[in-house]
Amino acid sequence: METNFQTTNPRRPSSPWKESKVRGSGYAAGPVTKAPAWHGLVAWDMLFNGMTTGLFLVAAISELAAPDVFTSVAKAAYPVALVLLLVDLLCLVLDLGDPLRFHHMLRVFKPGSPMSLGTWCLTIYSLLLTVAAAISLLPGEWMTLESVRRLVVVIGLLPALGSAVYKGVLLSTNAQPGWKDARWLGGYLTNSALMLGCAEILVLSILMKHEPAAAILRPALGLLLAVNLIPLCLLLGDLRTTLSRIYTRRELYGVVALSLGGGVLIPLFLLFVVDSLLFTLSAAMCIVLGSLLIRFVIIKLPHASA
Amino acid sequence: MASREMELARLPQTSDPPRGLLSAILGRLIDPFRRGVPPEPRPPTGFFTDTTVCIGCKACEVACKEWNQLAADGFHWSGNSYDNTETLSATSWRHVKFIEQFPPDNSLSRLVSEDLKPSGTGFSLDMLLNEPKEGRWLMMSDVCKHCVTAPCQQACPTGAIIHTEFENVFIQPDICNGCSSCVAACPFGVITRSSVDGHSHKCTLCYDRQRDGLVPACAKACPTQSIQFGPIDELRERARNRVEDLHSRGVTTAYLYGDIPSKSYSELNSFYLLVDRPSVYGLPDSPFNPWLHMKGDYVRAIVSGLTAIAALLAVLFLLGN
Repeated sequence: METNFQTTNPRRPSSPWKESKVRGSGYAAGPVTKAPAWHGLVAWDMLFNGMTTGLFLVAAISELAAPDVFTSVAKAAYPVALVLLLVDLLCLVLDLGDPLRFHHMLRVFKPGSPMSLGTWCLTIYSLLLTVAAAISLLPGEWMTLESVRRLVVVIGLLPALGSAVYKGVLLSTNAQPGWKDARWLGGYLTNSALMLGCAEILVLSILMKHEPAAAILRPALGLLLAVNLIPLCLLLGDLRTTLSRIYTRRELYGVVALSLGGGVLIPLFLLFVVDSLLFTLSAAMCIVLGSLLIRFVIIKLPHASA
Repeated sequence: MASREMELARLPQTSDPPRGLLSAILGRLIDPFRRGVPPEPRPPTGFFTDTTVCIGCKACEVACKEWNQLAADGFHWSGNSYDNTETLSATSWRHVKFIEQFPPDNSLSRLVSEDLKPSGTGFSLDMLLNEPKEGRWLMMSDVCKHCVTAPCQQACPTGAIIHTEFENVFIQPDICNGCSSCVAACPFGVITRSSVDGHSHKCTLCYDRQRDGLVPACAKACPTQSIQFGPIDELRERARNRVEDLHSRGVTTAYLYGDIPSKSYSELNSFYLLVDRPSVYGLPDSPFNPWLHMKGDYVRAIVSGLTAIAALLAVLFLLGN
């Protein structure tokens, strides 16, 4: 519970003085915090972060749980995850005030700083993912290399999960209006990463014409879409006050309809009602766009509140 | 700081041989990882700002800009009393705030309007001096609060933000890479990322002057001792005496803001004597350290991730075999 500073005068003044009615006088109505210069690039970063970590996690878990079905799809997924990671890292670096100092992030390891923890998780994850992707791309099958690849994938699970987890906590652990109340932001983004990863690997399976994998991944994606609704609704509950201050009722309904309808219900319909490549691709596209929309709404909160 | 000193010492001298491209790149890559010897801790210092004696002269703003060689911000009419600085920024590390508290039909207006009547006897000084005190101006010189547990320092992923040997919060300009985590974390809206160099900037509590045994420029320039500098324990004692003094004089609304910690925030090494609600001065009524939520947020994120993984595994085991 928030409490005021203790004061030497316990009688916190209920001042008899009235503030001037002159427009703009005084500071009570203005924002206290300053919104950081985080805009669209950070929303894209959040999306690509979810897409790369989610793809790696789902591919790795699927491969480890059912190697006979998923090994070939997973080997195609790791290079794709690496490309997505590179795009994500580019967004991260370009968003810095001084991009040429990006390596300063590795000066210290501060577990208490979500950004520091995330940087180290991303660094370790990127190294392991590079090895896994490189071995996956090698022609032929060498038992030793395959064992190395599997080992790297297993070790990579933890930093990949850390990379997915830190982003939401980074935003919720600060003083900005909206973000500071978003207790379930980390939960939503982590869950969303796995949902995005499942959608991506489903598309890959279909493009590779790997029907057994696609047959398993389609219901899995449906379940993850449903599971993702829980942290999303909890997040919307956290942000209710801030959102209602920023948006009109009509705009709010529009955002909720687009994110829930476009990002969850329509993909569910497309996945299960019609079984075709085009509809599955459309479902995956809806999931990505819905996720991007939510990330843009989240990123705009402090700026819109100012 | 030690690191800053290393950087300064490495700046090319005219007698130095020219540095090659490879050497410059290697220096840029390696130098940030070099560590100097941390200085011995010294007695903590800070500011006590007594807003009741501030006259809004802005000498502190000017002295700060002068000493720290901060660029001018241009000039715009804010429409907010005499405040044209508007906010603390990367180039304004002191900001004098003006709060006008007058009833809409203040006595001065009434006097003026009555005296301007054709039958009036004129506008006399006595009338002005005997004006009933129906309004007041509050003025406050705002600055970084140099929090004992500083969210900006906790957030900084590069280690650029440190506590100096005087327990002041300091941004090492040669280390900061402009990630803006500190901007997002500060509950007082102090830190700003410069659009010129892309790095975060704020009051250093004149670290360079302190190391040479000098008083910070703003405190030195303040003509009314509204800004007082010194060892923090002495300042707190002085501030409490001042509050008692004001209470005995009938200013019962005087209190200290940030001199001791609350349940949700540490004490401030730059604290204030106020006579109205903190929000009137643009300060948070109940500052909250965002790090108090961090563990719970991590737990929720990990649990959500593991739930999704469990759902995926359930489908894989059910349909995969």
